Amino acid sequence: MGKNAETALLKQEPYLVIDHVNKYFVQKKQRLNVLDDINFSMAKGEILCIVGASGCGKSTLLRAISGLDSNHGGQIIIDGKEVVAPSKTRGIVFQEHRLFPWLTVEQNVGYALTVIDKEEKKQLVQTYIELVGLKGFEKAYPKELSGGMSQRAGIARALVNKPEVLLLDEPFGALDAFTKIALQKELKRIQRKAGTTMVMVTHDIEEAVFLADHIIVLDSKPGRIKLELHVDLPVPRNRNSYEFLQVKKRIYEEFFQDEKLPEDYSI
Amino acid sequence: MVNRAFRSTGYFIEYLALLLSILSVWTVMARQGHLNTIILPAPNSILETIIDLVADGALFTNMFISVSRVLQGYFLAALLGISLGILIGLSKHLDRITELIIQMIKPIPPIAWIPLVILWFGIGESGKVFLIFLGGFFTILINVVDGIHQTDPKLVEVSRSMETPFWKHIALMVIPGAAPNIFTGLRTGLSSCWMCVVAAELVSSTTGLGYLIMDARQFGQTDIVIVGMLTIGIVGKLMDSLLRFVEKKTLRWI
Repeated sequence: MGKNAETALLKQEPYLVIDHVNKYFVQKKQRLNVLDDINFSMAKGEILCIVGASGCGKSTLLRAISGLDSNHGGQIIIDGKEVVAPSKTRGIVFQEHRLFPWLTVEQNVGYALTVIDKEEKKQLVQTYIELVGLKGFEKAYPKELSGGMSQRAGIARALVNKPEVLLLDEPFGALDAFTKIALQKELKRIQRKAGTTMVMVTHDIEEAVFLADHIIVLDSKPGRIKLELHVDLPVPRNRNSYEFLQVKKRIYEEFFQDEKLPEDYSI
Repeated sequence: MVNRAFRSTGYFIEYLALLLSILSVWTVMARQGHLNTIILPAPNSILETIIDLVADGALFTNMFISVSRVLQGYFLAALLGISLGILIGLSKHLDRITELIIQMIKPIPPIAWIPLVILWFGIGESGKVFLIFLGGFFTILINVVDGIHQTDPKLVEVSRSMETPFWKHIALMVIPGAAPNIFTGLRTGLSSCWMCVVAAELVSSTTGLGYLIMDARQFGQTDIVIVGMLTIGIVGKLMDSLLRFVEKKTLRWI
């Protein structure tokens, strides 16, 4: 095997592995399966989108990857190490911005920074504030920001520690359509610039096709992988191109395959 | 602009209207000789008494003594109330361990402590400071615990997901999260401390505003009693306003 082929193979080495992950809740003495034997792996630097209807366990899966919930069967391995607790190496962006209302934008972004040197810290915070396009709002409190701006600040806060993986839990779910599209573009740009591996949960099929290199479609009750596919469309992606719509349709049909048109009987 | 100035003048008039009406009715009744001056002296004789008491230093000396007692007891109450409140708020075990005893001691009014405090401490300064401490401590403690229990669990989760070190978590997450309740506790605590100092001085003291009132009562000096009461009210109001101001400056994010 040539050296080039060997490095190519190494690159293909899975970075994040979800290995037989199960989770169930007990409700009214009934066992309720939320995640049923989930297996997949992703490469470093990929954007992976987990798509599913609400209640399919996609957020549960993301919380398991973050380490916030460790009460599940199976293993989650990132870069060869099992996830057992939350870690700074995994940044999280939630559906609600979850900024600390008592801290300004720059204090929020710098919250988790462990850099001691003040000048260096300031520089880093500034870099990420500018990266998400919030220059000029450093001293603003969260109450003074719009929904989209708050979410930008949340992204900057999750990125500032240079996490190995960025986890996003329906980050744009609560935004209006225009802000949403703008932020999707921004996220893609940021990802290409910083090269961060991202796992994003969404119920928006178009969002997934626009952003993802790799899509996992989850079935509901119990959450089970229905479809796994790689999106090889060129970037920037055109939401109205034929290829784009084909991928979208493919996923769409996973959800609505049972819905056949009722046969029309007529006499 | 003119409109706004006009409106705020209106508000100011409303703010003072009731007080001024009471004063004028009182003055008119006194002028017409409807009042027994032993029971209720005329406003102008109260004013004269204020001037006398200020001139011979009795008013400010006693006020200063009362205020400094309050500050000592209040400082202790705030220090212990906040730090124990944080511990109890953070630890479910500590919460369960202390709950019964706190719930039992809390309803005992500080005045009911006075006999015991005299038996323990005599009538010296330490007894009064202890009583004032009791007056503020439970109010502050309970508000701090409530504040911490009410912190948004979603924000706590964020802090946790970032592996925030313990002390940083306390300083940047727990305390600011509970700050509105902490301030409520600090304000109600201060007013209850202020009530306690007067109660303590009424019973066992030879200085302070409470003593000034009690001493004047023995000599039938109704005007001094009223001046003393007014001073207690005004000082209490000023202390509360000061804390409100600090609160507003501190909780800028709300």
